[in-house]
Amino acid sequence: MAEPKLRILMVSDFFFPNFGGVENHIYYLSQCLLNLGHKVVVMTHAYGNRTGVRYMTGGLKVYYVPWRPFTMQNTFPTVYGTLPIVRTILKRERITVVHGHQAFSTLCHEALMHARTMGYRVVFTDHSLYGFADVGSIHMNKVLQFTLADIDQAICVSHTSKENTVLRSGLAPGKVFMIPNAVDTAMFKPADVRPSSDDVITIVVISRLVYRKGADLLVEVIPEVCRLYPNVRFVVGGDGPKHVRLEEMREKHSLQDRVEMLGAVPHSRVRYVLVTGGIFLNSSLTEAFCIAILEAASCGLLTVSTRVGGVLPDDMVVLAEPDPDDMVRAIEKAISILPSINPEEMHNRMTKLYSWQDVAKRTEIVYDRALKCSNRSLLERLSRFLSCGAWAGKVFCMVMIIDYLLWRLLQLLQPDDDIEEAPEINFCN
Amino acid sequence: MVSSSLSSKRYTYIHESGSETRRGAIDIHHVIINRSRSTGYARLMGLAFFLVILGVSMYSFIEKDNPVRTLSWSCLLSGFFVVIQSRKLVKKESVIIMPTFGIQIETQYLSGKTVSRFIPIDKILKPMLVECVTPVTCYWSLSLFLRGEEQLTLVFKELRPSLKMLVPIWKALCTVISTDQSEIITEEKHVVSG
Repeated sequence: MAEPKLRILMVSDFFFPNFGGVENHIYYLSQCLLNLGHKVVVMTHAYGNRTGVRYMTGGLKVYYVPWRPFTMQNTFPTVYGTLPIVRTILKRERITVVHGHQAFSTLCHEALMHARTMGYRVVFTDHSLYGFADVGSIHMNKVLQFTLADIDQAICVSHTSKENTVLRSGLAPGKVFMIPNAVDTAMFKPADVRPSSDDVITIVVISRLVYRKGADLLVEVIPEVCRLYPNVRFVVGGDGPKHVRLEEMREKHSLQDRVEMLGAVPHSRVRYVLVTGGIFLNSSLTEAFCIAILEAASCGLLTVSTRVGGVLPDDMVVLAEPDPDDMVRAIEKAISILPSINPEEMHNRMTKLYSWQDVAKRTEIVYDRALKCSNRSLLERLSRFLSCGAWAGKVFCMVMIIDYLLWRLLQLLQPDDDIEEAPEINFCN
Repeated sequence: MVSSSLSSKRYTYIHESGSETRRGAIDIHHVIINRSRSTGYARLMGLAFFLVILGVSMYSFIEKDNPVRTLSWSCLLSGFFVVIQSRKLVKKESVIIMPTFGIQIETQYLSGKTVSRFIPIDKILKPMLVECVTPVTCYWSLSLFLRGEEQLTLVFKELRPSLKMLVPIWKALCTVISTDQSEIITEEKHVVSG
């Protein structure tokens, strides 16, 4: 087997068996990078009994490090506690690039800090949008500022997300690449039999019923649309605190036969629910990258959406402001153009526009750019931290100096030669 | 007869086997810690000194009035810990492979004590090389998957030899197990057909 071109370590608290957007992203990106001939290793914390080394499809090696998660699947932050295991993994797998995911992951921040101390190239991907005003966000943004002060390259999943990250962390915009998420178009295919557009038009909504996803907007929009169009019915999938409001709306307007509430829909059943409809409605107030609308477009549905990050081409989506009247107007427009939509053609376009292979190739360019960055000495790196703030800058410098000293101490106690390299295991496809 | 040996900074691996021509000869694999006498005693002294200092500083906070008593208590405690630690110091671990019979795993301590365990050949399902991940490190270990037991049995319980040393032992175990398992299958075929 030829020597891999790059050896990448993906670090995040969020990976399978936990299910979500970040986990999916890491998995699909890793699989495509493996296909391109690179070596990918994933590091995450242990989930219950699942600790140690596991191999996934294609020879993807996953280290489930037995650090206990403490809140929302995040590892307990010890600042220096993960230095020995990160050093061991980086040495034994002969890693060249470390790629951290998600600003909310403590393991990611710690691993990136240790990797920078040891002189590795570091890339960070931010998947979510965060606020600026509440206490949690302020602290999170300071931690992010610390991590990104010394990074080689950063990736954001949409222009909205790039703006948000740059404002929160003070990072130079020239260092941030925009690589949108993709969708598994093989899994999200249109229905074989297209529902006839003469009779009932089905509008599908699948989202968590929370404030941020615009559930309150739905409560205003659904009765109005049902009043204007007697042949429209709604299918609402998902659960959350706003479920009660939607039920009340159904009762008040007697829409039990026109609005179907499915409750929580497992991801494996999402495609089945999507293909029952012709239009997909997304009312999120804010989103870094809305994968749901990509999945809907891949299934051949016309989308009506608020202006969130990650928007489709103009002929596949009707945009609206997060205001009930504007959304009703957008739905009216969508109903009028629905007969001209060809689901198969939409699906084929999505396959070309949004594919994980494309994301992997663009990520490869980011890695190459990161590798070309010059190796900075400790003093140069410390000067970057000083610009983070009057007190914060000095605190960050102290943290990095202690990390550097601890690393040198570890090198004395366990020299680099003592860490045995792991052999390559060939998985014949 | 020593047929091969490997040496690293911490461990030495020695492979003793009987004559090559005789089938069923006993195979012995040793892994010895490279512990020179001086480093061994230096470690003990260092540990003792550290414990004495710890004890004195702890007791000086609690009992300020009687320093002699606190010093003697702390010396006693640290001496006790040193004795306990020295009993755990391993000199050598060995695997004795007796084809068609079983394997014997031995641990020899510095104090002269030897702990051994015999595992009959038909109890072993498979020997395997496993990567063990702890909160601070990751290392290879050779384990046995035994019939009727849920947990894997470690061949080297105290020592952590490198993969280069573990591979020949694992190969020898695999050869012995597969020979035994193929003989069982042949016997069963005879019984069925006969």
